[in-house]
Amino acid sequence: MTTKNRVYLTSSTSLSCAGDSNQALFDNVVNGVTGIAKDPNYFDSATPAIGKFTQNYNFHKALVSQCQYILDLCQLEDFTDTLLIVGSSVGGMAETEKRFFKDKNYTNIDPNFHNIHTIAHVLKSHFDFYDDISFSTACTSSANAIGYAYEVLSKGLYKRVLVVGADSLTHTTIGGFLSLGVLSSAPCKPFDISRDGMNVAEAIACLLIETEPQQNCVEIKGVGYSSDAYHMTHPHPEGLGAISAMSSALRAANLDTEDIDYINAHGTGTSANDNAEANAIASLFGEHTPVSSTKAITGHTLGAAGALEAIISSLVLTEGILPQNTFLDKAENTDIALMKKSKISSVSYVLSNSFAFGGNNCSLIFGAVK
Amino acid sequence: MKIKLEILSASSICAKQEIEDLHTKILVPKMVTRRRLTRAAKMAIYLADHVSFTQGKIIYGSSFGELPATANILHAIQKEEGISPTHFQNSVYNTAVSYLSMLHENKEEILTVSSGDNTSEKVLKAGAIKALEGGTFLLLVTETLNIDAIDEVNTCHAHLESGAALKVRLSTETPTIDIKTLPVDKHLPASVQLLYALASTIKTTQKNIIEVAL
Repeated sequence: MTTKNRVYLTSSTSLSCAGDSNQALFDNVVNGVTGIAKDPNYFDSATPAIGKFTQNYNFHKALVSQCQYILDLCQLEDFTDTLLIVGSSVGGMAETEKRFFKDKNYTNIDPNFHNIHTIAHVLKSHFDFYDDISFSTACTSSANAIGYAYEVLSKGLYKRVLVVGADSLTHTTIGGFLSLGVLSSAPCKPFDISRDGMNVAEAIACLLIETEPQQNCVEIKGVGYSSDAYHMTHPHPEGLGAISAMSSALRAANLDTEDIDYINAHGTGTSANDNAEANAIASLFGEHTPVSSTKAITGHTLGAAGALEAIISSLVLTEGILPQNTFLDKAENTDIALMKKSKISSVSYVLSNSFAFGGNNCSLIFGAVK
Repeated sequence: MKIKLEILSASSICAKQEIEDLHTKILVPKMVTRRRLTRAAKMAIYLADHVSFTQGKIIYGSSFGELPATANILHAIQKEEGISPTHFQNSVYNTAVSYLSMLHENKEEILTVSSGDNTSEKVLKAGAIKALEGGTFLLLVTETLNIDAIDEVNTCHAHLESGAALKVRLSTETPTIDIKTLPVDKHLPASVQLLYALASTIKTTQKNIIEVAL
């Protein structure tokens, strides 16, 4: 891709089970304090461990307040010169479920509050944006949104982008993953030999992305995309799609594998995903580059995961701490450098992976501003 | 900023209830794959075949995604029945193009846009931006609203299944089609109208160039 501008992640905010602020999120990730807990309220047949917000927020109000926080933080008057890019996998499904389970029919379901566009619809009713677009590629949704932001800004097509990764908890996703037999009833243990599945979680992550650097910002260095073209839910066992996405991101960033100081793995805690990703990382990076998954703390926030983990990656760069694999006891994947303890380190470049149903892959590279 | 695209080939389909023959048995010979396909996946495969597209980037759009799978899951939960794993894996918005990628072993970038009524417009914009990198790629939209009791919530769409595909590439030539003045079929979901109108407008006897304003 021909690039024109450098692209910076200048401000961000997040709300997740791991904290009501970026700092709380990062402290918990680094110190191994999980936001995941058993929840008996969704299904009688099982009690999965999931990640709920620390307080009982109204999801739509929380969306608005997170974006207002970005406005205030950046002392922007408004978003009229800003492209809104949303990444979400469930959109308004929680509202649809509420109405359908109460009424047992569709009559009171408002299409504007059902589909993926719900997130943008809510935000556009409170803020004026230059334009908007919403992506829904399951668990890569907001990673793809950041990738798209990088592309349009580097090409000089827009002035500023607000990426919003947002997914709420729904019966559909919790029950769906239960049906696939991949939900754990404890906080997940990605890459551990005794792992028994993943944790569905909710999150809102907002990132302001610009072409002018600001204080404490990080640079978005490159993005790589690929499709497995293999299976709807299983990644290619050798991680061929992941290798392609990571290689493409490295090429876009004009970096070599040895330049990467830390990899924030997709690492969901399911055997198929972890093994495929570990094989891909081992194939490209060997056992030299520190790797961790932060989902034991945040859970898998589905369409919001790419954005939430982009924030974690940016904090790795600005705080100089590599986060641990919390709950990792005995690694199944011994040919990659899985970190058991967080570590202070000088960090120049971080690679963040997101993979999704349908074999959709997206890798992002962030760098310290030089 | 305006970006010009040449439409190399196009296809469109719609039906009030269900499109009758999507040639799925011919296009997807393996029964094990065919029986898992959603209606949107079958439509995507049919449309891609009609524009002779197998390899390359795809920008796909749908406002309501995999509504039949979503409805099946809702009913299963409401009746306290188990959710079908197949329905769940087929409920994500990128299902249709994922099956399309598997069929042709297409390992390129595939994006799924869902921007409500403006989905077609946003697919065009994203496509125009991606076109700056060069190559030939596919713009695709589908809606599959044909579920039981859809009349409880659908008051405006007469055609419950519809879709359109454009195979495009970047152009520097003078536009021959003004997308602002295209006649649109109001019986179709708004999310499909623009791409459907473009697919219905192109002429095989001349170059078809559009200009997309960002």
